Amino acid sequence: MIANPVSSPTAVARQWFLARSDLEALIQALRKSGRRVIGPTVREGAIVYDEIESAAALPVGMRDEQSAGRYRLTERSDDRAFGYTVGPTPWKRYTFPPDLPIATAHRVGSVGFDQAKLDAPALAFLGVRACEIAALAMQDRVLLGGQFTDEDFRARRKAAFIVAVQCTTSSSTCFCSSMGTGPEVRNGYDILLTEIDEGFVVQAGSPAGAAIVALLPTRRPTHAETGAAVDSVEAVRTQMGEPLPIAGIDERLKHQLDNPHWGVVAERCVECGNCTMSCPTCFCTSVTERSDMEGRTSVTERQWDSCFDVNFAKVAGGDFRSRPRDRYRQWLTHKFSSWMDQFGSFGCVGCGRCITWCPVHIDVREELQAIAPVIQPIERPVAVEPVAASPGSYSIARLASVREETEDTTTLCLTDLDPAFLAGRPGQFVMVALPAFPAVPISISRFRANGIDLTIRAVGPTSTALVNLHPGAKIGVRGPLGTFWPIEDAYGRHAVVVAGGVGLSPLHGLVEALVANRDRFESVSLFYGSRTPEDQLFREDLARWTAGKVIDVAVTVDRAGPEWKGRVGVVTTLFDMMSCDCSKVTAFVVGPERMMQASVQLLISKGVVPDRINVSMERHMECGIGLCGHCQTGPFFVCKDGPVFCLSELGDMYVREGI
Amino acid sequence: MDDHASVIAMLNHTWFGSELAPETQERLAKLGTIADFETDEIILREGEEALEMGILISGRLALRTLVPERGPVTILSVEPGDIFGWSAILANTKAQSTVVATEPGKALVIEGATLRAALKEDHALAASLYPRVLSAVGRRLRATRLQLLDLFAR
Repeated sequence: MIANPVSSPTAVARQWFLARSDLEALIQALRKSGRRVIGPTVREGAIVYDEIESAAALPVGMRDEQSAGRYRLTERSDDRAFGYTVGPTPWKRYTFPPDLPIATAHRVGSVGFDQAKLDAPALAFLGVRACEIAALAMQDRVLLGGQFTDEDFRARRKAAFIVAVQCTTSSSTCFCSSMGTGPEVRNGYDILLTEIDEGFVVQAGSPAGAAIVALLPTRRPTHAETGAAVDSVEAVRTQMGEPLPIAGIDERLKHQLDNPHWGVVAERCVECGNCTMSCPTCFCTSVTERSDMEGRTSVTERQWDSCFDVNFAKVAGGDFRSRPRDRYRQWLTHKFSSWMDQFGSFGCVGCGRCITWCPVHIDVREELQAIAPVIQPIERPVAVEPVAASPGSYSIARLASVREETEDTTTLCLTDLDPAFLAGRPGQFVMVALPAFPAVPISISRFRANGIDLTIRAVGPTSTALVNLHPGAKIGVRGPLGTFWPIEDAYGRHAVVVAGGVGLSPLHGLVEALVANRDRFESVSLFYGSRTPEDQLFREDLARWTAGKVIDVAVTVDRAGPEWKGRVGVVTTLFDMMSCDCSKVTAFVVGPERMMQASVQLLISKGVVPDRINVSMERHMECGIGLCGHCQTGPFFVCKDGPVFCLSELGDMYVREGI
Repeated sequence: MDDHASVIAMLNHTWFGSELAPETQERLAKLGTIADFETDEIILREGEEALEMGILISGRLALRTLVPERGPVTILSVEPGDIFGWSAILANTKAQSTVVATEPGKALVIEGATLRAALKEDHALAASLYPRVLSAVGRRLRATRLQLLDLFAR
């Protein structure tokens, strides 16, 4: 083994191999270059960064086991020196000290202030991980990237020599791959080590690093050794599993400032500040004055502070963040949202320290998902191909039975249908025709094993003729047509159904589906308003749904006589006091358009996002398949592109006069 | 007699009361009394002077108006959390509808003259209570507009 001749910048990035037994040579070369070496060592049951004088101080053969609120050191089965992840110490302890005298003041003669002299020791950081290099770069942007800079930090950063180490293991708390900061070290180092079974693959990242590497007893690595180095880092990425859905979290959080979950977390948080103290990017500080007894001289000292401290946002007139929930929100939104606005990146590197060192096991990853979950795009299943899909063409169905719902509304139960009708979905409709009458669109109110139900209000010649039919009659039907309720969109959420009058008809099949799949939803609520008690549709079903308590049913009527003991008032009064987390509501709304508008406005005002509000529109239709043009609304044919729309799809077209 | 703490706790569980300042809750608890009522009990009669304002804690009330040849028509039900008899905030005001219990219930009831005197003397109470009353009345007004449209008619 000979010392290799790498001493020029051209040697940067070339790879070398250093035997495990020669790690001591690296430490001594760094020390001989005039630097104190700060590296990993075991103190009080944890691997911390402290000054080391030889390789004997390294945590050889040690690993750390980490999870929320838990850290334990155990022995490895090998003699790796860097076989752990990250301990409680952030490197900022050496670039941004927790206590720092920044000035002195005196009253001797005249008043004077003296800024502290810069005193940046030459330090070599040994064992810096990818996430930690990213953290140093983040503090560079915060403390050196603006109009005003921290010169003490600049001097310490400049004096720091970085020996980075690739991660070849990960903890359950690591999520650098989600934050885009690791596990690979790509830049920001003077020397990079990748530990493999035989020793280290070494790479210089700067001329200063190359000068040190030149002093080491290295050789060229074999292909097997460089391959093993690459594979071991890639294995860590696999260990960490699927990345979190971090993209867009900064914007999502901006819409969650009033989320009640802030209060839920705050009830657990003890505000110890461990998360901010162990965080490698947190930079908040406070200053204190230390004076002699006569007040003639004083020293101004800067200390790390925490936004969890109850006095952190206090002014003479009060406290801007007086509640624990305010302080937790401040910390989390700064890390994952407003930091992006201020400094162009997230303020988190995914090192997981705040998770491990939280005494009450708060896991920032879980809280982010609870407070600002990803809104999955709605993937609507493909509709079944309709039967008799051309104007004038109808399939014949037989009227099996007739059920009077109200004085003017009747349900027709059709059977002997083409199987395509049975494969339709709640929200779809059929065009119904009788000889000598124009075809009309009718929503499918129920899917049965051997037929479908159509609930029809007698308002025109065709509908009046239909409700007067008797069992056995033959009817022309075309369908099923149009879009349907995106039931899947409500999985895991609060499903809220708002129905007005005969609007319950196109929602009836949806409610049955929600009831049948109740376990898939956080909750299911039906709010139904009708003109009078006598105008209520599906009274047997309402009673069944209410009695079973499978779903929450609230009904109201616009007017009633003294015999009615239930609610009186418009349908919006049923849910304007709704207390669930409205950011988790998926709503389905049908009724007269003005009622839908009022309902939608109220839902939005309560925090339901337009992407999660679905409405069914009623328009004049002659064909039902997008050919006649009667139902055109803006860029849509309601028959073909609707009748079920997501509110955000409709945008300005929704309830706009004259469209 | 319920103590103040339990009355405040009840208020905090109501839509109307939970948004009030703690000092206002305290004051209302002192000014009012908790009243229980039975089904069909008439709390206020249309045309009579509104002597009390109430915050419904539990149960249901119907507001009924007498329509010639149709008899009493329920125009609104008051649900827990809402207020009734708010006209009592104004002196010499006649009740616009009959308030009748359709379920057994409980309410915090405040005598109108006492409330008016307190509001006149305690501006902080007035500044806290009036917006909430306006909010309740506004909510009822918006609902009434929709009711007037008779949206579900043919």
